[in-house]
Amino acid sequence: MTEDSQRNFRSVYYEKVGFRGVEEKKSLEILLKDDRLDIEKLCTFSQRFPLPSMYRALVWKVLLGILPPHHESHVQVMTYRKEQYSDVLHALKVIRFVSDATPQSEVYLYMHRLESGKLPRSPSFPLEPEDEVFLAIAKAMEEMVEDSVDCYWITRCFVNQLNSKYRDTLPQLPKAFEQYLNLEDSRLLSHLKACCAVSTLPYELWFKKCFAGCLPESSLQRIWDKVVSGSCKILVFVAVEILLTFKIKVMALNSAEKITKFLENIPQDSSDAIVSKAIDLWHKHCGTPVHSA
Amino acid sequence: MSARLCGPLQVDGSLSRGQGSHPWISDSGVWYVQIWVLENCSPLLTVFGARRGTHTQKVPLAACVHVCLAHVSRVQLGPPRWISFLGHVTEVYLVHLHASVYALFHRLYGMYPCNFVSFLRSHYSMKENLETFEEVVKPMMEHVRIHPELVTGSKDHELDPRRWKRLETHDVVIECAKISLDPTEASYEDGYSVSHQISARFPHRSADVSASSYVDTQNSYGNATSTPYSTSRLTLNTPGQLPQTLSSPSTRLLAEPPQATLWSPSAVCGMTTPPTSPGNVPPDLSHPYSKVFGTTGGKGTPLGTPATSPPPAPPCHSDDCVHLSLPQATAPKKEERTDSARPCLHRQPHVPNDRGLEELHGGKGSVTLSDLPGFLGDLASEEDSIEKDKEEAAISKELSEITTADAEPLVPRGGFDSPFYRDSLPGCPRKTLSASSSTQGTSANPEPLNSSLDKSGPDTPKQAFTPIDLPCGGTGESPAGNRERQASLEASILTPSPCKIPPQRGVGFGSGQPPPYDHLFEVALPKTAHHFVSKKTEELLKKAKGSAEEDFTPSASPMEVLDRLIQQGADVHSKELNRLSLPSKSVDWTHFGGSPPSDEIRTLRNQLLLLHNQLLYERFKRQQHALRNRRLLRKVIRASALEEHNAAMKDQLKLQEKDIQIWKISLQKEQARYNQLQEQRDTVVTQLHSQIRQLQHDREEFYNQSQELQTKLEDCRNMIAELRVELKKANSKVCHTELLLSQVSQKLSNSESVQQQMEFLNRQLLVLGEVNELYLEQLQNKHSDTTKEVEMMKAAYRKELEKNRSHVLQQNQRLDTCQKRILELESHLAKKDHLLLEQKKYLEDVKLQARGQLQAAESRYEAQKRITQVFELEILDLYGKLEKDGLLKKLEEQKPEAAEAAEERLDYCQDGCSDSVTGHNEEAPGRNGETKPSRPGGARGGGGGGGRGGGSSSELSTPEKPPNPRAGPFSSRWETVVGEPTSGTPTTVGSLPSSESFLGMKARELFRNKSESQCDEDGLTVGSLSETLKTELGKDSGVEARAPLTLDGPLLPAPKPDSVGQLRIMDYNEAQLEHS
Repeated sequence: MTEDSQRNFRSVYYEKVGFRGVEEKKSLEILLKDDRLDIEKLCTFSQRFPLPSMYRALVWKVLLGILPPHHESHVQVMTYRKEQYSDVLHALKVIRFVSDATPQSEVYLYMHRLESGKLPRSPSFPLEPEDEVFLAIAKAMEEMVEDSVDCYWITRCFVNQLNSKYRDTLPQLPKAFEQYLNLEDSRLLSHLKACCAVSTLPYELWFKKCFAGCLPESSLQRIWDKVVSGSCKILVFVAVEILLTFKIKVMALNSAEKITKFLENIPQDSSDAIVSKAIDLWHKHCGTPVHSA
Repeated sequence: MSARLCGPLQVDGSLSRGQGSHPWISDSGVWYVQIWVLENCSPLLTVFGARRGTHTQKVPLAACVHVCLAHVSRVQLGPPRWISFLGHVTEVYLVHLHASVYALFHRLYGMYPCNFVSFLRSHYSMKENLETFEEVVKPMMEHVRIHPELVTGSKDHELDPRRWKRLETHDVVIECAKISLDPTEASYEDGYSVSHQISARFPHRSADVSASSYVDTQNSYGNATSTPYSTSRLTLNTPGQLPQTLSSPSTRLLAEPPQATLWSPSAVCGMTTPPTSPGNVPPDLSHPYSKVFGTTGGKGTPLGTPATSPPPAPPCHSDDCVHLSLPQATAPKKEERTDSARPCLHRQPHVPNDRGLEELHGGKGSVTLSDLPGFLGDLASEEDSIEKDKEEAAISKELSEITTADAEPLVPRGGFDSPFYRDSLPGCPRKTLSASSSTQGTSANPEPLNSSLDKSGPDTPKQAFTPIDLPCGGTGESPAGNRERQASLEASILTPSPCKIPPQRGVGFGSGQPPPYDHLFEVALPKTAHHFVSKKTEELLKKAKGSAEEDFTPSASPMEVLDRLIQQGADVHSKELNRLSLPSKSVDWTHFGGSPPSDEIRTLRNQLLLLHNQLLYERFKRQQHALRNRRLLRKVIRASALEEHNAAMKDQLKLQEKDIQIWKISLQKEQARYNQLQEQRDTVVTQLHSQIRQLQHDREEFYNQSQELQTKLEDCRNMIAELRVELKKANSKVCHTELLLSQVSQKLSNSESVQQQMEFLNRQLLVLGEVNELYLEQLQNKHSDTTKEVEMMKAAYRKELEKNRSHVLQQNQRLDTCQKRILELESHLAKKDHLLLEQKKYLEDVKLQARGQLQAAESRYEAQKRITQVFELEILDLYGKLEKDGLLKKLEEQKPEAAEAAEERLDYCQDGCSDSVTGHNEEAPGRNGETKPSRPGGARGGGGGGGRGGGSSSELSTPEKPPNPRAGPFSSRWETVVGEPTSGTPTTVGSLPSSESFLGMKARELFRNKSESQCDEDGLTVGSLSETLKTELGKDSGVEARAPLTLDGPLLPAPKPDSVGQLRIMDYNEAQLEHS
């Protein structure tokens, strides 16, 4: 990290003492100051540290390619994005696919489908599974991002990333999950296996929806930071950590249905801790990502 | 009221007695009663007025007054008539009556002037009463001032009880006295006094004047007033002596009624009684005198005593009478009376001597008054004060007589007067002298009566004084006077210059009275006051000692005369029997026919009673005066206290003044100091000012200096700036020179190098030269012949050498420059390379940026396209719906049955369609497999190939365009023509409407673009549709079958080559794009 030299010399001690994220904001600001944003650095940063919420949207937009790395073109590109958003929305309204009463996530969904040319003949068409994923993510994103344009774009790109970048890795995740769970707590895994719950675990929720609707947004966005920055393995560790956290309860449940039901509706009070632990776990198993450049 | 109250008294008292004793005397008894009444009336009036003012009512008062006056007038007029009956007795009564009426008049007038005057006016306006008025009332009115109430008051107001409530009885008396001009009655206290005195004198004179003829009654009046006169005279004197008189009385002045009259103390001492009593006495005396005098002189005790002394003297002196005990005659009083009685007694004895002069009396009576001045003058001239005193006493009495006598000019009873006159004279030891003088006076008098009035102006004062003195002197001279000469001296001192007599007289009185009064005073007066008074008197004594000698001679006062008379009468009475002489004597002496002795005794008793009454009256008066005196004493004490206070205040004032002076001095000092300080301050201020000026001046100088310095500083700065500029210039020059130097050094180095070269060349040259020489030597040695040639050669060689040298130089220089150039170019090249790199980087950046934007724009464009596709799809949908609705309507109109058939067909057709769609769906992947790898653009191309009308985007589609437009009309025609007969057409039309129209083709094309799979399906469906159409149409009618052929024939074969071509083109394009 080149910017380490510019950082406060106390930062080392901060981290030693246990204060995290004191200098992260500053270093992120330094990163964001570069005229041509170094996307790899940003990726590394967001993988290593939690993003400050005020820069999260920007970083995500840059990482997801909604904004170009050049600051100069940000405005123009953003106007394009906005116009596109408004055009599409207008079109949807014109063909009466969407009205003011339509929930925003559905609007995003239709917009996304329109842009991808998959707009159903009528809004009453049944939703496909990918639409469900999109809706869940859009709902979660709605909570995280205020601006509807940003929200739409981030959602769309996030989903696109899931569909394009992680298309191949996502199906591998359940196996990885089993592997890491075995590493962490083999007993639990064996219990799951005994219950035949391994196959029925809510992989869809965990890995396709990226925990959207499972965890509260505040903790979810910390996971998505990692996802956006290119690592979908974090999802595995989150799932592992969830199981580890609710191990006792899970162990108490014997039937696969109950386990899945429970896991689909886990209590949300400890989500922050889960996420923190999951990140730690992730760092532990995958090592802290270092900027290759 | 008073009358009523008094009425019973008289009845009780004397009337019954009188009546009882003598039936025919009833008249006289009545008179007596009336006199009694009147005598008591005036005091009662005052008492009632003061204490119960409410009770005094107008009517009874008026009635009373009326009755009284009427009686008086009757009596006065009556005498001629009554005299025969009453003889001298009536006269005696008359005197009493007069006196009492007079007193009553005064009271009434003093207390109720308005009522009284109005009564008088109403009563005497009648002609019948006019006479009485002239004779009785008028004379009385002459002794009265105009009452102020007449002006200010009213009848009702007078009767207001509140008026008297605040006043004591004696106050009322004094109030009344203020109005009176009669010296006996008048008061001298208040503001009235002066004018009063003056006015009091005039009445005298007028009285004198008028009195000449008036003898009998006048006497009574005169007697009543006589002593007052004296007092009045005294008062006249007093004005000059006032201060002394005031002080004097205390000691023995008490004895000096004349002076003291002003002075209440004398009155307090009971002196009032003596003066008044003599007043009363004389009339009595006078009356007796005329007739009784004889008796008295001869020993008419019965008459004399009752008439004169009885009231005052008898009770006190003899203490015989029981009722006399009533008056609280104290020891001193008795003594006084005894003293005063003596002279009276003396007089009486003497009177007979003078009897011969009776005739003169008439003249004398009148004369005395008028003569007063003359007498006074004479007396004053005379050495014997005693004589003077006597004379004056006599004169005063006479005056009083005259005044009273004025009322009765008719009565030619000079005899009364004369005896009286003598009486008074006899009072004095040296009667003869006085008699002579009096005779002289009398002789003189008749003439000057009038003249004296005229004369009086200047002389009056003296005369006024003298008469007063005289009585005083007389009294003083009286036996009592012998006792104490010193006292007389003192008195004389007290009554200083104007009249020697009064003091003497005072002494006379004082000698008798002082001892008895002294202790009284000690009781009455506080010690301080006593002390004060004594002190004053001492002072006065000291002052007056010189003049005191003259006043020596004692003279009998009317009081003494009265006393003596009474005493004598008493003596006679005691010595001789009643029956013996009195009647006879009286008969003898009087001109009237003798009255039976028994009658006389009665009359005498009556007279005694009268006198007693008189005495009571006077005692009452005395008491009042005593009261008043006490009050005045209090005033004196207060005054003395005030004086002391005043003195103390004065002392204080002095002290304060001293203080003030001290303060003033200190103030002056302070002022001086202040001035000094101010001056100092001024000087300091001026100094400071000057300093300030100096400093200011200095400051200005400094300021100027500083300014100069500043200007200098600026100059210096400028200089410095200039110098700096110069420095800069110099620096620049230095730099320049350095540059030059470097250049020069470069040049130098160049030149050095050149020099080195030159040296090198020179060496070469030398070497060459040596070589040349060697060659030359060789040549010379070998070819001496060829010298010319050699020389030529040499020259050529040299030239060539020089040329070569210069060429070498040039070449060297060129080389240098070239080398430098090369270096520069190399650096340039490096820079350019660097720049190029930078440019490349930048370009990449820009590219990236542009790509980012382009991507955004592209995505937007994509979105737009999608949107438009959606829109078109929607529009097509709507069109389809519209056309379908229109066809349905037509069918319904034309043939309901056909409609049914059409429906059936439509159902069939749809089934067919769906079958075909499914069938073609399977084919689609295979057919479009070639195009698949291509991008949407390729797909589009494929779609365009798939779509029959998709020529718009492909070059090959253009030749197919004609059929398309043709297809439009054809289809429309076909629709119109075929649509009618066949109900099946609508079904196909419903699925194919858009394929015939341009829009439809376009939509299809777009539709195909939406998604590859859909596009393919659409394309297949279209194809299948056309096939089905063909079959259907072929079935329906051969004629119309041509239209589909024409329609679809060219269309169907066309797409495939088109699409292929398109694909290729698109692929190429794509490839191009990708490559780019």
